[in-house]
Amino acid sequence: MDKRIVITGVGVISPIGCQKDVFWDALISGTSGVSEVKAFDTSAFKVHRGCEVKDFKYEDYISNGSGREVGKGSQFAIAAAKLAIEDSKIGLDNIDPERAGVSIGTTAGEIQILEKVNYLRYEKGEESVDPDLFLKHPCVNMPSNISIEFGFKGPSTIIPTACAAGNYAIGYACDLIKLGRADLMLAGGSDPFSKVAFVGFSRLNAIAPEICQPFDKNRKGLLVGEGAGMLVLESLEDALARNANIYAEILGYGLSCDGYHITIPHPEGDGVTSAMEKALKSAKIKPEDVQYVSAHGTGTFANDKAETISIKKVFGKHSKNLAISSIKSMIGHTMGAASAIEAIACALAIKESVVPPTINYETKDPECDLDFVPNVKREMQVDIAMNNAYAFGGNNSSLILKKFTG
Amino acid sequence: MNSRLVITGISIISPIGVNKAEFWRNLTNGVSGIKEITLFDVSKYKSKKAGEVSDFDAREFLGKKGIRHIDRTSLLVSSAAKLVMDDAGITHDVYSEEELGIVVGSTYGSIGSISSFDLEGLREGPTFVNPMDFPNTVLNAPASRASIFCKATGLNSTISTGVASGLDAIIYASDFLRLGRGKAVLSGGVHGLTADIFWGAYRSGILSGSRDNGIEISAPFDKRRNGFIIGEASALVVIERLEDAMERNANIYAEIKGYGCTFNPNKVSHDDLDTEQGVRCISLAMKDAGLNVEDISYISACANSSVTGDKMEAKIIKDYFGGHAEKVPVSAIKSMTGECLDASGALQCVAGVLAINNGIIPPTINYQEKDEECNLDCVPNNSRESEVKNVLVNSFSDTGNISSIIISKYS
Repeated sequence: MDKRIVITGVGVISPIGCQKDVFWDALISGTSGVSEVKAFDTSAFKVHRGCEVKDFKYEDYISNGSGREVGKGSQFAIAAAKLAIEDSKIGLDNIDPERAGVSIGTTAGEIQILEKVNYLRYEKGEESVDPDLFLKHPCVNMPSNISIEFGFKGPSTIIPTACAAGNYAIGYACDLIKLGRADLMLAGGSDPFSKVAFVGFSRLNAIAPEICQPFDKNRKGLLVGEGAGMLVLESLEDALARNANIYAEILGYGLSCDGYHITIPHPEGDGVTSAMEKALKSAKIKPEDVQYVSAHGTGTFANDKAETISIKKVFGKHSKNLAISSIKSMIGHTMGAASAIEAIACALAIKESVVPPTINYETKDPECDLDFVPNVKREMQVDIAMNNAYAFGGNNSSLILKKFTG
Repeated sequence: MNSRLVITGISIISPIGVNKAEFWRNLTNGVSGIKEITLFDVSKYKSKKAGEVSDFDAREFLGKKGIRHIDRTSLLVSSAAKLVMDDAGITHDVYSEEELGIVVGSTYGSIGSISSFDLEGLREGPTFVNPMDFPNTVLNAPASRASIFCKATGLNSTISTGVASGLDAIIYASDFLRLGRGKAVLSGGVHGLTADIFWGAYRSGILSGSRDNGIEISAPFDKRRNGFIIGEASALVVIERLEDAMERNANIYAEIKGYGCTFNPNKVSHDDLDTEQGVRCISLAMKDAGLNVEDISYISACANSSVTGDKMEAKIIKDYFGGHAEKVPVSAIKSMTGECLDASGALQCVAGVLAINNGIIPPTINYQEKDEECNLDCVPNNSRESEVKNVLVNSFSDTGNISSIIISKYS
């Protein structure tokens, strides 16, 4: 129960790059991953842009894999997991499969499969649908496919708490190691580009027409994205024993629920505040110990305002000293993968002493008057970072990462 | 980890009863809740039955306002959440909103809502879909709706491990409390029946009666079994640490003694039953509980009348319990409720809790023809009076997820 949990490997599949180094260089250079949506025809919509993963070929990652057909969400997750395991240099053969597990978050799981099923039902009738296709849709396929790919026999779970899911999955993975229920966890999040999300957010007028501008006065909404982020988590003891490269320690996390409205964040940010406070408490640190906050920062009017209010409530005067950025300005809102990719960004910020910027920041919003690291990366030492993620349903989460110093 | 965890509230909305007394009466009398489907048209399918919650009116539990756009799965779990708070005697004077959490196992119940939203977009064009229906498409909506109705804001999570979801949600909640992260957690599972899931399961040939001209029956462990009959339900328990439950003088139904989760990455084929991870899962739970094989008084089985699944579970039980296997009563309540998917593990837990409290083991109904490969004491057709001290509950999902939990008489 007193085990310390560390990150020893990271893997990213994102709209701005699919290798850790490519992703990180693009992120600190302020690269935008936005483009016209290719996943489906957007001519019937008022908005047409999103952040898709470009040039992803599953075969590049699974050279001699099991050959099983899996959905895009699983493909992203498996590819990211493969990169993370390689990055950890642990060697698959050195992992005890009975002590290794998977904890992943998602918003929509294998939504593209269900969209395909529905399209076939609508266009060609029920009989045209391959019965096996439907069974590949439920999101439980995602962790199962990962466990099968790596032969893991430990706990395999999925927490679909929408846009906060990555943090939830990482938090639970830490708990499973702390409780001695697993020694190594692959944790993170994955979501393929979702037409359902695109339709839904566009009907809520929440999609930006051109670019995503978190915390900017003229912000016009989010951009739907896709991708995956996976982390290798182990106990500090195990990591030290094998002389592993340690990116950061996960010091604690906090969860809360608004219990207020299914889509609208609490106007005073009550739930969000509570998640941050619980995270600080579980990490046993003071607000002043935090230097960097990776914001949820979707770029919607309501979210960014409520998040700013909450950060001020939790951090008080120290809120002015914080470097806060939203990488959603670059990669869009990758849904269930978002907080997992952001956790990786935090780990890399800690490791590299560079904070990624919030791009597309033009006009200061008096209601969002904090330091959002506008447009240009910042070189600074980060000892402690907080990773925020919120979701539909009022599911709130904050994760605390710390530089490992022994 | 030293904290003992206890169950202080239970609620059931099921095909055989929308409250615990009715559920238990029907369960012990061997009453089946499986009937012809009324929720949607099944005239073109060979399978026609399900375990529907036929007399469910959400307005009774949640009031008349604000529920029009909420889907059946969310209504079922929100209602069960209200019931379980009452049953546990929890009000916001007892625990603050912040001290209460909800963890729901739900995988399949939202798929109907996602599909109808998607199909409306295809039919009407994407700019004409009703945005009020969008929130039902997120998989965490049922748990979130319940938190709004119950004002439980400390924790809200959803677990989607298929048939293991309900049990895994209870395990997640237990882990959460073991680490001291909350006071009381409502946890369990829900599945609201939709045409989409029925259709998907039917097309893949896993429903009873969907292939050949077989009979349509939920007959776990019986030689005549040929697939499962789908069901819907919501079942929740309230879990607290023992010291908190005692401090507020709560009624303690039972104790959660231990649990385990494993995963079987190997494809299960009809002839080659790989029981290794199932056996390991039970042994993890038993070790966590500190029990020996002879301590188990009853096994609430996952068996759902599927040809391979039931055989697999029987073999796992025999492999783990060895010579003791034939002495342990093993019953499959899915013979009466149908396979309630995400709710099933939680439903089995609630049945186990009631078995402990009433000293009665519910039967496996529809049992006629013995299958040599499932030769366990499945408490055929009639319930049995017996002291029940420790109940083993299994959820073995065909997605590879394997979970077991042990619920014990509190002393």
